[in-house]
Amino acid sequence: MAKVLETTGMVCPFPLVEAKEAIVDMAKGEELIINFDCTQATESIPRWAATEGHEITEFEQIDDAKWRIIVKKGK
Amino acid sequence: MLQMIVFGIICGLLLGFVLQRGRFCVVGAYRDLILAKDGRMFLATFVVIAIQSIGVYALNDTGVIQFGNDGFPWLGTIVGGFIFGIGMVLAGGCATGTWYRAGEGMIGSWVALFGYMLGAAMTKYGVWKVAGDNLLSYRTNDTYIHKTLNVSPWVLVIIVTLLVGILVIRELRKPKLPIFKMKPKKTGLAHILFEKRWHPFVTALLVGIIAIVSWPLSAMTGRMFGLGITAPSANILTFLITGDNALIDWGTFLVLGIFLGAFIAAKGSGEFRWRLPDMKTLRNNAIGGVTMGFGASVAGDAQSEMVW
Repeated sequence: MAKVLETTGMVCPFPLVEAKEAIVDMAKGEELIINFDCTQATESIPRWAATEGHEITEFEQIDDAKWRIIVKKGK
Repeated sequence: MLQMIVFGIICGLLLGFVLQRGRFCVVGAYRDLILAKDGRMFLATFVVIAIQSIGVYALNDTGVIQFGNDGFPWLGTIVGGFIFGIGMVLAGGCATGTWYRAGEGMIGSWVALFGYMLGAAMTKYGVWKVAGDNLLSYRTNDTYIHKTLNVSPWVLVIIVTLLVGILVIRELRKPKLPIFKMKPKKTGLAHILFEKRWHPFVTALLVGIIAIVSWPLSAMTGRMFGLGITAPSANILTFLITGDNALIDWGTFLVLGIFLGAFIAAKGSGEFRWRLPDMKTLRNNAIGGVTMGFGASVAGDAQSEMVW
């Protein structure tokens, strides 16, 4: 069961802040789908995932300045 | 006049492009350092300072440009720098950052930009001028630290450069994190310019070079300064209201160029879209913009050149 986090319209650093919060009470292996449109998060979310040991199963630009990233909780 | 327009715009275009593609942001640099314990962007801002100081002192030594010799307005810099910092966080970006995000289609940055122009113009020419001039009247006898210490400026330049160099090498030697990358959709030059993620140090190197080049290009048109953002921003608004042509200089075209360069970079990489934040953010952007305008004006452009 994947959880969807809608952060479109939020400016940085809030997509990342929200993602950090959302993933806390998820189980290991569960997926978090984050939709965002703040350019800087294309850098900060993958970097955060790599640092925290979460796996990224999908990362796509779905439209002009719109991205979707799926983070699988690692630990 | 033509030279002023062409060189100003070109310098701005390059800077706006590089900042947008490099996601260069001073607010973000402090945030990453404190919240994420990631000091790469923070270090990158020092790379810019080191490169720029080498280039600019070399130009000064060879007589291509001449530094001003006014005393250092210490009180204005401390107070203004502090106020600028608060404004920068509320506005969601520093002065240059606000210009380039406006070019990405961020409505919040348009609001902040207007506030910034207004705050700066009020301090330079309007009702806040009294406060601004007062703060700026407290000056030291020396403009530069090296004069106070009675050493060649190169001693300080070399110390800073060595320090930054050591930290950069240490950072580059760290094991690389396996960071997930999006599948590239472009190839060759288009990939590098409009898709690839730029390393913060590469971006910093480019920004430093543009900052150096900006001095002689600006000096050619009679404006003895590099990348100043605040005065041109205040002057654009004042020019629009008063129609006084004397307010237009190289800096005007520089800031317009930053905006255009960021727009081209964002459009080319599919990252341009009009984006409206929520009401609370908009309010903060407006307040932050005005605050930042006041802070930057009393801190002097030298300060904003350091922290943008």
